[in-house]
Amino acid sequence: MNPPRYDSLEQALAAVPRELQPSRDLWPGIAGSIGHDAQRVRRAPWSQWPMALAASLAVLGLVGALCWSVVHDRPGGERVASATPPGSGRGIAVSFQRPQDADYIAARTALERTFNERLTLLKPATRERIRADLETIRKANADISAALAQDPASPLLWQLLRSTWQQEIDLYTTVAQTTQTMLTRRT
Amino acid sequence: MVEKDFEAIYRAHVGRIYGLCLRLTGQSALAEDCTQECFIAAWRALPAFEGRSQLATWLHRIAVNTVLTQRRRRPGDALREAGTLDDAALELPGGAEASGTLDVEAAMDRLPQGARDVLVLVGVYGHSHDEAAAMLGIAAGTSKAQLHRARRLMAQQLGIAMEAA
Repeated sequence: MNPPRYDSLEQALAAVPRELQPSRDLWPGIAGSIGHDAQRVRRAPWSQWPMALAASLAVLGLVGALCWSVVHDRPGGERVASATPPGSGRGIAVSFQRPQDADYIAARTALERTFNERLTLLKPATRERIRADLETIRKANADISAALAQDPASPLLWQLLRSTWQQEIDLYTTVAQTTQTMLTRRT
Repeated sequence: MVEKDFEAIYRAHVGRIYGLCLRLTGQSALAEDCTQECFIAAWRALPAFEGRSQLATWLHRIAVNTVLTQRRRRPGDALREAGTLDDAALELPGGAEASGTLDVEAAMDRLPQGARDVLVLVGVYGHSHDEAAAMLGIAAGTSKAQLHRARRLMAQQLGIAMEAA
């Protein structure tokens, strides 16, 4: 059977699965190597960890997938190299150490407003997917916050919490930047 | 972090990390070794993870570094490592290549190493040129040039017009 033909390279690359599974479970080998390290680490009573971690992990990769969705909504399809990558957040001068900071609130509010405006430019299916992704990020944030209430000294939980703030901003930024071309073409 | 928490991270990310390693190495056994080493290195580096980047991006950096280290350890993959496959060598006459029906994965696998590395990181996994360049230890301009080359070669192999590519 012949492989499918593609109209554009973006279409071809979009068909490439990002995730592939190895032929065997690699965890036992990893666990064996890190087991020795783990014994030297003092174990903390992070009883809330698994739930919060699972919630936070669920959102990882969403923004990357979103980039593709948005790019493929563009008329004519822009080159993949111009897609904003996950985690970039460039140009957003916000301190995530202090999320109640006035600069952070102002930047976030402006971005959220732009995000909501630009959502209307996208196909309904993409729009729904983005909203679902945003909801997942906010849920992860809430779950990690709950875990932090139980274990406020956990530096990694704080890191994950900051990561959800960053992911939300990245989502807003990605939508704003990738729909900019559509706006420019209309005008 | 306890081991079972780290296992959750492994389970959530192993698919993308292995996919990345496989596309960078082109060999499943080597990709599995790299994946395993990546997570072991990540475990050891976890205390230094500051959360300023996404965990997935951080793991990708470690994975790419692991692959690059493996390449230095295994000079046997000479054609790819030395980048001696020139563009003309990839433009084979006849067969699937000429009819434009070559599979996308196979087409990527046939790219010269530098072009493939950048295409995988930027084109498939959505990293910026700055990120890809930092991971690969090259200049951002080189990354852009390699992506252009990769796109041209991919378009040829897949039978896609360059304007559409």
